[in-house]
Amino acid sequence: MHPRSEARHDGGLAGLIAATARGEAAAFEELYDQVAGPVFGVAQRVLRDPAQSEEVAQEVLLEVWRTASRFDHAKGSALAWVMMLAHRRAVDRVRSVHREAERERRTATSDIPYDTVAEAVEATLDQERVRRCLAALTELQRESVMLAYYGGYTYGQVADLLGVAAGTVKTRMRDALIRLRDCLGVGL
Amino acid sequence: MKRSFMKHSRVKRLLTTRKEPHTLAGAYAMDALGEPDRVRFERHLTGCDACAAEVTELRETTARLGSAIAVAPPPAMKARVLAAAARTSQHVPGGLSRAPARTRRRTLVLMPALAGAAALIAVAIVFGLANSDANQRLDQAQQRSQVMAAVLTAHDATMMSGQVTGGGHATIVMSQDMDALVFSAAGLPAGGYELWLVGPDGDRAAGPVDVSAHGMAGPMVAGGLRRGDHLRLVAEPAGGTVLDVPL
Repeated sequence: MHPRSEARHDGGLAGLIAATARGEAAAFEELYDQVAGPVFGVAQRVLRDPAQSEEVAQEVLLEVWRTASRFDHAKGSALAWVMMLAHRRAVDRVRSVHREAERERRTATSDIPYDTVAEAVEATLDQERVRRCLAALTELQRESVMLAYYGGYTYGQVADLLGVAAGTVKTRMRDALIRLRDCLGVGL
Repeated sequence: MKRSFMKHSRVKRLLTTRKEPHTLAGAYAMDALGEPDRVRFERHLTGCDACAAEVTELRETTARLGSAIAVAPPPAMKARVLAAAARTSQHVPGGLSRAPARTRRRTLVLMPALAGAAALIAVAIVFGLANSDANQRLDQAQQRSQVMAAVLTAHDATMMSGQVTGGGHATIVMSQDMDALVFSAAGLPAGGYELWLVGPDGDRAAGPVDVSAHGMAGPMVAGGLRRGDHLRLVAEPAGGTVLDVPL
């Protein structure tokens, strides 16, 4: 279960990040080819705006270049590190003041289309396994994960959207990820 | 959606967020915590190895959720990112920055607003070195002055200044590209001071601030800046925060 064992499934990403940290442009280009898709995908899912997604994806990839030396394999796989940078930045962007105002308005005027989000994600998941593991969750677990990870909502917002106590959402999120972890065989 | 429960959920949230911080691991791994919860949880993480290990595993899991929705970016993005990388400095361990290859030999161009501060700090560096007779400290000092020079001449260097509570005036020159800043102050009341970086990623001491007989302090470098950091000058032993600058 130790993250180090992820190295075997890393597709050489960790090595590419190490070479990138030494300033090797060719390694960074190879790294780009491997992670630009996931990075852009997450940005697009959370932001749902092509121009902003591209902007955020570029910022993330440049951050990977700048801070490659900070990647610490003891704290997780290379993919997890890149995806953490990508998701954090996308979520930060979506929660910025301007978007927040827009979201508040949308929440106030109509039911937030969280189930539409879920459907869209489920329809485009290109990894059958992730889809199957998501399907194996309880409805509340799945909706919590969908809204939080793909929608960029805080757990408090998720609780409001689902009409469930925040404490419940909090524990469901943890339960859901633990089940997903076991279902996906992460780190095994 | 059971909207009738919304009010109750707000009340419950107030009651539950402070208890059992480790149950926030899932929400944290999905970046679903608001700023205050995130700060609190990250503090908790530093003292809970089991929680940190769990977060690591859950991050691997969310990474799979992310890579499952990969979308090919517009082809033109690649050239833009590679070009941007070619002109962007990289962090190297130890807080220094590796300049991009093409600009390594660029001439130093100071923004007019920085010239004064730079001159003051340059003088201070010279005095600092002249007064240091310990040879083994010279390398360190030279390295520090190189970092200072790099921050002061960074193309994105910005200068901030402010009054220090209790007396004195502080000047900060920051480069976000280098994630570093140079701090100096004048007119500080005698006493001990400590510089801190305080932010959502945790609080880090940036070192003690030596105040000369004339109330001059610094210049000193603080590296490893992170998003959302504040720079704090704290009077010791118990004088409290005398300067707080959001970076």
